[in-house]
Amino acid sequence: MLLAEVEYARPSTVEGAVRLLSSHAGARPLAGGQTLTNVMKARAAAPDVLVDLNDLEELRQISRTADGGLELGAMVTLSELIRSPDADARPILAEVAAQIADVQVRNRGTIGGNICSNDPTNHLPPVVAALGATMTIRGPDGERTVTAEEFFVGVYMTAVAPGELMTKLTVPAADGARDGFASIPIGRDGTCICNAAATVEDGQARIALGCVAAVPVVLSSTAEEDAVREAVRGADLDPPSDVHASDDYRRHLAEVVALRAVQQAAG
Amino acid sequence: MSETTVTPDQPITVEREETAPGFIGVNVPRKEDKRLVQGEGVFVDDVKRHGMAYVHFVRSPYAHAAISRIDVSKAMAREGVYGTLIGEEVAAETDPFFQIAPPPAGELKDYALAVGRVRHVGEPVVAVAAASRELARDAAELVEVDYEPLEPVLDPEHAADPGAPQLHDEAPSNTIWQGNFDYGDYDAALAEADKVVRIKRLHFHRFSSTPLETSGAVVEYNRGTGQWTIHSNNQFPGFAIIMMAPALKVGMDKLRFVSQDIGGGFGNKICTHVQLVAMCLLARKLNRAVNWTEWRTDQHTANSHGNERVFLDVEVPVKADGTMLGFKARAIDDCGAFTRYEPLGCIIWAQVTPGVYRWRNVRLDFTQVCTNKSPCGPNRGYSRMQHLWFTERVMDIVAQELGADPVEIRKRNYIRADEMPYETPNGCVYDSGDYARCLDEALELIDYGSIDEKRRDAESRGKLLGVGIGSTLDSGTNNFGQSTIVNPELQFSGNNEVATVKLDIFGEVVVTLGTTPQGQSHETTAAQVVADILKVSPEDVNVRAGHDSYWNSHAGFSGTYASQFAVTGLGAVKGATEMLAEEIKKIGSVVLGADSPDDVELEGGFVRRKDNPEAALPFMACGAIVNANNAVLPLEYRDITLNCRYVYVPPHQLPDKERKYGNLTLTYANQIHACVVEVDPETGVYEIVDYGAVDDCGVRINPLIVEGQVHGAAAQSIGAATHETFPYDEDGNLLTPNFYDYHVPHALDMPPLKTTSIESPSPFTPLGAKGMGEGGGAGISAVGSALQDALRGSGKPVVTNSSNPYHRVWELLRNPEESRALVEVEER
Amino acid sequence: MEPVRGQRITVEVNGERHERDVEARRLLVHFLRDDLDLTGTHVGCDTGNCGACTVILNGVAIKSCMLLAVQADGTSVETVEGLSPDGELHPLQEAFSSFHALQCGYCTPGMLMSAKHLLDHNPEPTEGEIRRAIQGNICRCTGYVNIVEAIASAAKGGRR
Repeated sequence: MLLAEVEYARPSTVEGAVRLLSSHAGARPLAGGQTLTNVMKARAAAPDVLVDLNDLEELRQISRTADGGLELGAMVTLSELIRSPDADARPILAEVAAQIADVQVRNRGTIGGNICSNDPTNHLPPVVAALGATMTIRGPDGERTVTAEEFFVGVYMTAVAPGELMTKLTVPAADGARDGFASIPIGRDGTCICNAAATVEDGQARIALGCVAAVPVVLSSTAEEDAVREAVRGADLDPPSDVHASDDYRRHLAEVVALRAVQQAAG
Repeated sequence: MSETTVTPDQPITVEREETAPGFIGVNVPRKEDKRLVQGEGVFVDDVKRHGMAYVHFVRSPYAHAAISRIDVSKAMAREGVYGTLIGEEVAAETDPFFQIAPPPAGELKDYALAVGRVRHVGEPVVAVAAASRELARDAAELVEVDYEPLEPVLDPEHAADPGAPQLHDEAPSNTIWQGNFDYGDYDAALAEADKVVRIKRLHFHRFSSTPLETSGAVVEYNRGTGQWTIHSNNQFPGFAIIMMAPALKVGMDKLRFVSQDIGGGFGNKICTHVQLVAMCLLARKLNRAVNWTEWRTDQHTANSHGNERVFLDVEVPVKADGTMLGFKARAIDDCGAFTRYEPLGCIIWAQVTPGVYRWRNVRLDFTQVCTNKSPCGPNRGYSRMQHLWFTERVMDIVAQELGADPVEIRKRNYIRADEMPYETPNGCVYDSGDYARCLDEALELIDYGSIDEKRRDAESRGKLLGVGIGSTLDSGTNNFGQSTIVNPELQFSGNNEVATVKLDIFGEVVVTLGTTPQGQSHETTAAQVVADILKVSPEDVNVRAGHDSYWNSHAGFSGTYASQFAVTGLGAVKGATEMLAEEIKKIGSVVLGADSPDDVELEGGFVRRKDNPEAALPFMACGAIVNANNAVLPLEYRDITLNCRYVYVPPHQLPDKERKYGNLTLTYANQIHACVVEVDPETGVYEIVDYGAVDDCGVRINPLIVEGQVHGAAAQSIGAATHETFPYDEDGNLLTPNFYDYHVPHALDMPPLKTTSIESPSPFTPLGAKGMGEGGGAGISAVGSALQDALRGSGKPVVTNSSNPYHRVWELLRNPEESRALVEVEER
Repeated sequence: MEPVRGQRITVEVNGERHERDVEARRLLVHFLRDDLDLTGTHVGCDTGNCGACTVILNGVAIKSCMLLAVQADGTSVETVEGLSPDGELHPLQEAFSSFHALQCGYCTPGMLMSAKHLLDHNPEPTEGEIRRAIQGNICRCTGYVNIVEAIASAAKGGRR
């Protein structure tokens, strides 16, 4: 539909953005807009101020870290990620980004946006949780880095407080670890009914289940089928019921996608 | 058995040679394309008027509630808000809409805005008009409405239960209509049966074709003349005017409907007369043009859905050799909160009572109820689709239960080509068709011969492969006399469509149509027919784009709906052009000194003497003589106008209301689809890996355009079979109010789609063509049938729903006993 | 810097510069349709799913219903109206007509812009790449069959 009245600013520095976000109650960062504009059209949220991050070149960088990991600016678009040769450090990121929606959405949608909106059906939260990635948050009081567990707090809620913004995602080097992702979307590249990401190293798997709880559910197990199934069942999931899946069906799918993610990782 | 082959009394046909094989059957490039590919189409929201107000509707958040208070004062206080409209005003200024239903339900009150009560989530309660779209939206939030919620009725199977909340005081037990249909001798068929298959419940779900362009209008009121000009994408202005004029208490000519381009209709844009009345009142009240553009969310929640229908206690007597003798069932149809086009759906299914099959003994108890859900409308395939799906499901389930070969049993039961024209048990006459041949071609398209190999290959990849068959009939060119079967007091029958063709002063051929195309290429196909008769090229034929009541090119049933343009629209074009051709020949004969019009002919834009082709008069000269130089004509030729208007009226008869018997449509195009699915048994997720569609719509005026319709209908039916569904929660909220949750097929969702066609000309139509395009049901049946086949090794579950998203397939896999419990075979 | 309720923006659309005052909340699609009278770009949904509003902004295909007009300040936008500047149809437009890749025409402008974006970056796409490129454009009329063929044909520079 149509947005309510809102004020708008487009700072050219991260400091400027933080200043705007922290000095205006009801200010929200505008990244790719592929989620926020729709939320505002439905008037499910009505921020007073939109702080447009699209001029912040500092947040658009992709680089390798010294130890072979990956640093991705929060404003890197999904298309930029897919195209980036550096992203090869952890190929699963680009592979999953390529499954999100469509090319128009990927051209504007950002890594930061997908992670910070923390819609339980989003693709990147389970991926970054499984990879053991960390998120850097900058606010008026400075910068801090948190783990995925600390970052994802609740449905649509993250550790990014009002007045702050996520600046980058740091992904550890693969170092022999291999990653996998499996999902059951509605139609090709549609909304996920259930998804899971996994990182396997030396026969040990870290699995992150999406779509089944407010935040990604992170499990550890060995990479054998029985162990993975056991781990998922042991998580005592209480997934939501909706038009696409009952809680029972989602619970069942969680086990399937977890296993497939691990199997893809284990190779 | 009674004689079923019928010879028409007066075939209204034209031998193919009479219209020379010039442009019929040719893929003439579309006239519509040039403007549309340049973004220069005129869709309703493209229409702008100075000082125009934008309208936003305040809509009910409750499925069922009494309205206790409305306060628009805060909205009115906002700068830029021009005015509002509430139900009280509507009730004072308009009469409730005419109802098709007989009493008592026919007494129910339906107004342009909710009056005193709301009956579905999204029902418009207040209209707010403001200077911009955003302001109207903002002001709407300032309107205060107090509701007293009432218990909603959401389950059609229990809507008529004693004690259920009543939606309309005038419709006791929430029942809009009930009727018993009894054809042949069902009891004798039952006695004769070797087996009886019983199916407890088959369910056809709510969904709709969700055209990409939502409904809308720009309405202006002329205070001097009292006339409204309604630019809208309503696709059936004939019906809209009949409904709106009495409501607004004005003569029909006070409502001028104008449209140029419409972004898809599929029946979804037939019932917008309701919102249009609100717009008319606002335009008059505010003395400015008003724009309403429906939001996607509103289209899903509060425009029109396809009917939900459930078939209970189905009983099918069968012979040992697989011949099915008939069926008995109890059908409950849910029309939603208001009737509007209903209860016509209670008879329209009867156009195809036996589907494509030869069973003669049918007993159907049909009830339509109202519920607190979105009103329904004639969604693509209207009412036939639900019934055809039912017949297909029965065929498929009986075949499985009897262990019969699905192809053989269909061929055994298909109506045969040599039986055409075929009179069905209730007197409809299928004009032509060869279903067995279409089936063979469909199976060829999916390489049915190598299915076993494909099955093994799928198995090696851990998948279950299934093949399914589905069919559909596109019954077209309605006989509105069928409405008298539903309500004997109605005075509707027959059908009509209008066209005008004229020769202008400079020899230009100009055509107007009464239809409202939404992509069906009417301008192009009309030009083909005209070009054929006048012996010019389609490029020389100017067809006015769209629809306008001012052209006087419309009649009571004008519009674009119900698969009929090739018959009614083109029938009118043919008639008008033949009149024009005769007039041109008359002018030509007198000017060229020939003895009679039979001594001249038309060729290449000239009228010329047959005995001396050099003696020729260009069309331009004819136009000039009649319009500007007519004293050169003898007196007896001066009534020639070269401006011909023709009304095509199909040869319908009044049906027999008592027996519920008669021919309800003129033509019956058919499609047979076959599809192959692969199911992941671990998850219920499936993919359609191959798909073939064969269509037969008689003579195809423009084969490429026909094929395009088949593609589109197949895509919509695949969507409906898989993910498209309109489910509700226990409070009456629609769970799929947008394209995020209501997943329609995108480009990557489509299977390889192969098509071919055959042509069985209709003996009953001017061009041998049949209306086509609705075709939607075949895919729903084919996919369901393929899933049942894929799953048969997993406990033989039975597919009893038209909607089969992944979670349903998983349930069938996980718990086949649940669906098996719905089916029982009695051996006699 | 202070946030503003509206501002004057300059947008180049199809090579022509436009300067307008807009509210911050105005979506780009409504700016194009209502402020610039470029009604070729269409609105089909509320949730950014249908793609009828697709335009090319600074060389990138985007859905204009999910961008604010103020965000387009200083950018260069291509819409369907710019595909045939001198009245001569773009090869994609020709191909769409030849292959009957449009029926009602409502999705067509967005579809053409997505197709143009594809061919600008990938002149010889496979069928899969074509489908992927238009995955964000819903069509309810054609089933996409002829659309895919039309784009493939335009890519090869030929026509039926």
